[in-house]
Amino acid sequence: MSDTAHAGTDGGHDHSPTGWRRWAYSTNHKDIGTLYLAIAVIAAVVGGAMSAMIRLELTQPGIQFIEDFQFYNMLVTAHGFVMVFFVVMPALIGGFGNWFVPLMIGTPDMAFPRMNNVSFWLLAAALVLLVASTFIAGGVGTGWTVYPPLSNADFHPGMAVDFGILSLHLAGASSILGAINLITTILNMRAPGMTLHRMPLFVWAMLITAFLLLMAIPVLAGALTMLLTDRNFGTAFFSPEGGGDPIFWQHLFWFFGHPEVYIMVIPAFGVISHIISTFSKKPIFGYLGMAYAMSAIGFVGFIVWAHHMYTVGFNVETRSYFVIATMVIAVPTGVKIFSWLATMWGGSIDFKTPMLYAMGFIFLFVAGGVTGITLANAGVDQAFHDTYFVVAHFHYVLSVATVFAIYGGIYYWLGKMSGRQYSEVQGRWQFWITFIGVNVLFFPQHFLGMAGMPRRIPDYPDAYAGWNMVSSIGGLITMLGAFMFLWILYRTLTAGAPAEDNPWGEGATTLEWTVPSPAPFHTHEVLPDTSDLQAAE
Amino acid sequence: MSNEAAHRTARASRQGKSTPRRTKLTAYALVGLIGGMGALVATAQPMYRAFCQVTGFGGTTQVADEAKLAALIIPVEDEAAKAARYVTVRFDANTNAKLPWHFRPVQRELRVRIGEQVLAHFEATNISDKTIVGTATFNVTPYKTATYFNKIDCFCFTEQVLHPGQTAQMPVIFYVDPEMLKDINTKNETAITLSYTFFADTDQSAAKKADWDQSAAKEADRDQGEARQAEAERRAENSPANRAEING
Repeated sequence: MSDTAHAGTDGGHDHSPTGWRRWAYSTNHKDIGTLYLAIAVIAAVVGGAMSAMIRLELTQPGIQFIEDFQFYNMLVTAHGFVMVFFVVMPALIGGFGNWFVPLMIGTPDMAFPRMNNVSFWLLAAALVLLVASTFIAGGVGTGWTVYPPLSNADFHPGMAVDFGILSLHLAGASSILGAINLITTILNMRAPGMTLHRMPLFVWAMLITAFLLLMAIPVLAGALTMLLTDRNFGTAFFSPEGGGDPIFWQHLFWFFGHPEVYIMVIPAFGVISHIISTFSKKPIFGYLGMAYAMSAIGFVGFIVWAHHMYTVGFNVETRSYFVIATMVIAVPTGVKIFSWLATMWGGSIDFKTPMLYAMGFIFLFVAGGVTGITLANAGVDQAFHDTYFVVAHFHYVLSVATVFAIYGGIYYWLGKMSGRQYSEVQGRWQFWITFIGVNVLFFPQHFLGMAGMPRRIPDYPDAYAGWNMVSSIGGLITMLGAFMFLWILYRTLTAGAPAEDNPWGEGATTLEWTVPSPAPFHTHEVLPDTSDLQAAE
Repeated sequence: MSNEAAHRTARASRQGKSTPRRTKLTAYALVGLIGGMGALVATAQPMYRAFCQVTGFGGTTQVADEAKLAALIIPVEDEAAKAARYVTVRFDANTNAKLPWHFRPVQRELRVRIGEQVLAHFEATNISDKTIVGTATFNVTPYKTATYFNKIDCFCFTEQVLHPGQTAQMPVIFYVDPEMLKDINTKNETAITLSYTFFADTDQSAAKKADWDQSAAKEADRDQGEARQAEAERRAENSPANRAEING
């Protein structure tokens, strides 16, 4: 850390710390962004291995190799936690957010660089606690929703759930610090002429996401604290014998949990907007509409939480409200989808790998959105609640669409981050393998859900055998795509062709393409040229 | 704002210089927002409880106070009540697996005239060799009738102590509010299920107290139990509710 500080005061901009100190003590937004991306890749391997075990167990009816059902429950739970908190969020918010928000708004670093370092290491500690919980007392077998009474001391008497709770506390603290940093940076440190209404859509997405984090995470933290005291200190927030109510947990959890899904997908919207615009060689269609559509999605996301709880016995008026409020989200989402299509319309489209992923994102997000509208109906949800239809729905929007945005974003920015360009042929192969794989994996799960197959079970009646086999084959294809991605990443970093400062040509107009590739340790030490923005003023 | 000044922020903070005032203000405002959400979640539990009691959410029944009982006289006079609508009230008793009690309703169901006060009994037996404090949770289904289901007195309002082998009658006095017939969602309901689940109370101090002088406590408890029952029966007899027919 002292190295970095001295580098600044000495004015020696070329000097940068080396060795383990560079990473452990880092206050540099690019290095911290790289650390976030690295932890996301590591966690993705862990979470992916868990999903592979789940899918292999479900290949055929009967028990294949997981004989301890608590172990299966633990896999389902840990897979969810790892993917949500340690893959999607670090990659999109900590990784791309740290790397490209300062570059895009033309500032040298984040507002609080040292706090940025704390954010990352809190997340690393959280991952260690979560992994530790899987080895203790059978692990956390509650599902990622941690509903009591299953999560209370009667049904999970060991320390595993406590480890899980503390892990989420740390991950939440990390997210909150990161969100403060992002908002403060975006609001105060933009280059001259870059008004809020002129900043890139990815920066808009990060701003909205950070506000969602600030408002949702404290609710999760409060709920987890209540659960922790219920388990260890004899309170009864969620246990009826002491005057509590398990449904109260569900309200608190989903008040956090629904905004959480937008926390994951809004940064993806930002990435996709840039890719579509770059490779269509057109400015994004309806820029302001896009920005305010994300704001509207974020706002409405806070008042629809009970659509996860239709079966707890609300009266018909309550359910009507939540059905209507949920469906309203389709309007700003539609604004986004059609604006992307309008951006491509008449554009000179270059089908590079990031663009393939962006178009795949639109296709899959619409597919997942349509099943979301189906599930938004309280009546339909009585039948579909806790079936594989729900699993198919949220994997289409999260595991497929959002992960497509991560893949696309890495291909899009890898040259800028590493200075080396991936092989286009390999990238396209990897896209098509993954695209086919995820659809073979998740589309049949709609049929399983409509046929009534419940979630979170290691065994099932023979009637569900056929589509489960298909789904598992899709899982293997997807995994092949993931391995291929790791190989491409390795090949690019070690032997990729040198990347140009702007490999994408005239379509790439944001400020990160004005700095060299790889982006030097310090960028925008002098104000970037924003004369076009200022001229517009 | 001065953009150039703002632009220097990151450089300044990296060099250990003080953070500009505007940046600090933003950060403080954001910490305030987090504090606000924290305050909301910290007060969520009492707010949720109040919300359930007011709205009957999740089948939370109402507790009738004096004012409510006085007001009840008027609805009984009005049209809906004159139609002498009846509703079947079914009784359901559950025991948590960790509580070694037998708990059952004395009557399976009652046909109740809407607006009349009714006395029903449950019976609990402690089948263990320890004195145990139990507490009962309650709700009614359909949930939407909960706002019209009023309890005047109930064994579920207080904790119950049972000595080893002791059996106790547990009374509940309730009425169904005639307002139910004016609500478009509930006016066609013909049956309401009143359900209880007995749990071992997390606070077992009352059991220790009872054991401390067991013989005296036993005596007192029985007297008290009988007195409570007699009191409940007296109240029920004084009300028009004892005209309710017992079907079960």
